[in-house]
Amino acid sequence: MNRSAWGGVGFTLPALLWILLFFIGPVLLMVAASLHPLTAAGVPSPQWGLGAYRAFFSQPAYVQALIDSVVTTIVVTVLSTVISYPFAWSIACVVPARWQRLALIMAILPFWTSYVVRSYAWLLAISPVGLVNKALLALHLIHRPLMLAYNPHATELGFVHFFLMLNTLTIYASLKQINPRYELAARDLGASSWRAFFGITLPLSMPGVATGAFLTIVLTIGDYVTPQILGGFRQLLLPQLIMMQIQRQLDLASASAMSLILTAIVALAYLGLQRWLRLSRL
Amino acid sequence: MARLGFTPRRFYGIGASGFALLLGLATPAAAQGTLNVLTWCDHEDPTLLQPFETANDVKVNFKDIGSTADALAILGQSKPGDWDAIVMDETDTGRLEGMGLLAPLNKADYPFATIPSQLQDPSLTSVNGSLYSVPEKFGYNTLAYNKANVDPAAMQDINAPWQPQYKSRVAVYDYYVPEIQYAALALGLNPETISDADLPKIKAKLEALKANAAMVGDVTSTQQALTTGAVDILVGGGEWVTAGIAKDQPNLDFTIPKQGGIRWQQGLAVFANSNRKPMAVKFIQYILSPEGQARLATSACYWGMPASTAAALTPDQKEILRWKDQPDYLKASYTYLKMTPEMDKKLQALWAQVMQGK
Amino acid sequence: MKTLTLFASLYMALCYLFIFLPVVVLVLFSFQAGNLPVPPLKGLSLRWYLAVFHDARLMGGFGHSLVVGVVSSALSVLLGFLAAYGLARYDMPGKRFIRGIIMLPMAVSYLLVGMGLLVSASALGAAPGLPTVIIGHVVMNMPLAFAICLAQLGEHQRRIEYAARDLGAGTLRVLLTITAPMIAPTLIAAFCMCFTLSWDEFLIAFLNTRFDVTLPVVIWGLLRGGLTPETNAAGALIFLISIGLMLAVEILLLRKRRA
Repeated sequence: MNRSAWGGVGFTLPALLWILLFFIGPVLLMVAASLHPLTAAGVPSPQWGLGAYRAFFSQPAYVQALIDSVVTTIVVTVLSTVISYPFAWSIACVVPARWQRLALIMAILPFWTSYVVRSYAWLLAISPVGLVNKALLALHLIHRPLMLAYNPHATELGFVHFFLMLNTLTIYASLKQINPRYELAARDLGASSWRAFFGITLPLSMPGVATGAFLTIVLTIGDYVTPQILGGFRQLLLPQLIMMQIQRQLDLASASAMSLILTAIVALAYLGLQRWLRLSRL
Repeated sequence: MARLGFTPRRFYGIGASGFALLLGLATPAAAQGTLNVLTWCDHEDPTLLQPFETANDVKVNFKDIGSTADALAILGQSKPGDWDAIVMDETDTGRLEGMGLLAPLNKADYPFATIPSQLQDPSLTSVNGSLYSVPEKFGYNTLAYNKANVDPAAMQDINAPWQPQYKSRVAVYDYYVPEIQYAALALGLNPETISDADLPKIKAKLEALKANAAMVGDVTSTQQALTTGAVDILVGGGEWVTAGIAKDQPNLDFTIPKQGGIRWQQGLAVFANSNRKPMAVKFIQYILSPEGQARLATSACYWGMPASTAAALTPDQKEILRWKDQPDYLKASYTYLKMTPEMDKKLQALWAQVMQGK
Repeated sequence: MKTLTLFASLYMALCYLFIFLPVVVLVLFSFQAGNLPVPPLKGLSLRWYLAVFHDARLMGGFGHSLVVGVVSSALSVLLGFLAAYGLARYDMPGKRFIRGIIMLPMAVSYLLVGMGLLVSASALGAAPGLPTVIIGHVVMNMPLAFAICLAQLGEHQRRIEYAARDLGAGTLRVLLTITAPMIAPTLIAAFCMCFTLSWDEFLIAFLNTRFDVTLPVVIWGLLRGGLTPETNAAGALIFLISIGLMLAVEILLLRKRRA
């Protein structure tokens, strides 16, 4: 290596060390902890073993939580992508250029409400005496207040609200990077506007879709607050189970094992979306 | 030069003044003593703590627990001496003492003459004749309901929440101990002596309850469900959910069904390895004083009956808490289970299975 | 095209309605004169905002969150900027790998970082506290600061740096007196971004604190303690502060673009 290369290493070293010491190291410790399952006496076993993982997969209730977590994540990801794409497209392609920035800022403004408070605000909004029910009653769309809160759909609602904003942002950014001349060229060559959209715009905006989808997956599957506040315990998701292991059972081995299983799913999602991902371009 | 963002001097000037501001903020206030308490949320009310903190120049640190199991998990992650006092379900006194966690207390330090006999039963407060825990607050896990929407007379039957007419109008409080005992009582069992053989029946009963319920939730979410009209009945509810909001929600009420109900009772104890035992004792004395009892009974998180009859409550507050009904209620209610760690594990597993079931 | 515009406008209106609904509910009932944050609105009042300012726990949490946010964001921007500078200005083997390592935390959930620190602290016998939270927030936010800085370190600055070097300035001097001030708006924008993420972060803080807790953890406790418009007021105030910061970012970036 020449002198200049060493200089570069010097500048990147603090950041690298930080990640190594405070992220990769702790995750390796977690792997180790998950391989020392608790004994009957409630202390970590001195032997290495897959007991914590075996215990997880032999408990139908735990496997159910894993399935519920994956299903919720998929539903949320699909819904927020499908809802946000036309929204982002409208901002990027219908709103006049000078208003676009404002339209986008308005679309992501509630992003900055406190994360814990946001779920609580939804709970107030969808309660039987909340604004939503009041409005539906006033419009004579329903006769009795609907029971909207405290079920898995309320959890999904809370998630979709948040990720609608995030996905709108990533998709908008990606739509703006497309050279408008491509689509015009396609139209000049005789393509219908639909064909131009599906042939040019949609494929070229995939990085934004994939980035938004990936962030949605990562943040949904690891979230504890939203299901805890909105879900009403009709189903438990994996992070809730993990917190129970920590708060009630003091079983860090199981909690570690479950967190790593959760991370493995995120890794699968990453591999699936990898070819479109542009994480550094957020 | 327009592309130069800031001049260097301005850039570092901003940075330095920001840092100085932060240092000012981060400087700790005058040093003072501390007392570390594991507690349910009702002891965290500043109106309760501040008079004690000011009088003794001490800062009370607390960590929220929602069951004795929570407390044990926190203790497991702490070093000996980290904690000074605990507010716990008093039925767990024997169990914690058996683990060597608690320090013996001197009965003469506390106003036991003002505490009803059912509350100071030695099986709750003492082990082998020595006192380990002082009763401080109690109430009921029975039925809370909205009397605008359900017939109060129907709530006199402990099996009411299982009735099909209340389908999806029922909430269940997420605390496995009283809920399991409530189900046992509804099955005609003695809820203070549940055995392994009873568990399958209880599990089926709870599953049926969950199937009829709209939600299961903690203190806040069940209270919210009841106040917003999401549900009409709260199983495991009592004065702790209705009393604090009685002024705003006069339709919320609670009862003890004719078959009886479950009584919760909090006790204060000092940890054996605490380094601040005298201050911990002072804290208990403060909580048991007439003012402390009144503030605790009406604390922000949830209301409850004070253990001491000398509590300085107003007539209004006594009315809301059903002060004069207490002798009857005490007779009609059962205490929480006195649990072994094995039984606790089994009940937690049972509850988790019920929660997970569809 | 007309119908398309009409449909698009209608759709956008629905989306905005959905997006703003919880915020409106939150803010509206923070002015509730009654004791419960649900309809009916029993008149307007500022009493709950006063209650927030008199609540020692909320104010304590606010102070802690401020310290955690400022320290962790400053560290994130410092480390992220240095790393971005190293990658942008020097040739070295394994650039892609180094970038991958630094960006890695962006691809994992907060839960994993929080759990990792909890398990490590418990293995090392370290007491939980704000320093652990700061460490965790730097892990989560530094990649973001790094990415923002990397995107801004273009050829233009490189030419000015060379000029300074030709005039005899050393590497460190160039970095401190030329590069950093030159991309200052970017650094400050990155700082503000990191700050809004840090001071609102819940899971890492929840898992790794005991007594000195941050604002989101205090609010979590408040939620457990029952329904009160005070929670709404606290949430509305946090919203206001975050919006203010993001406006600052917007103005900084806009100013730069115009310049």
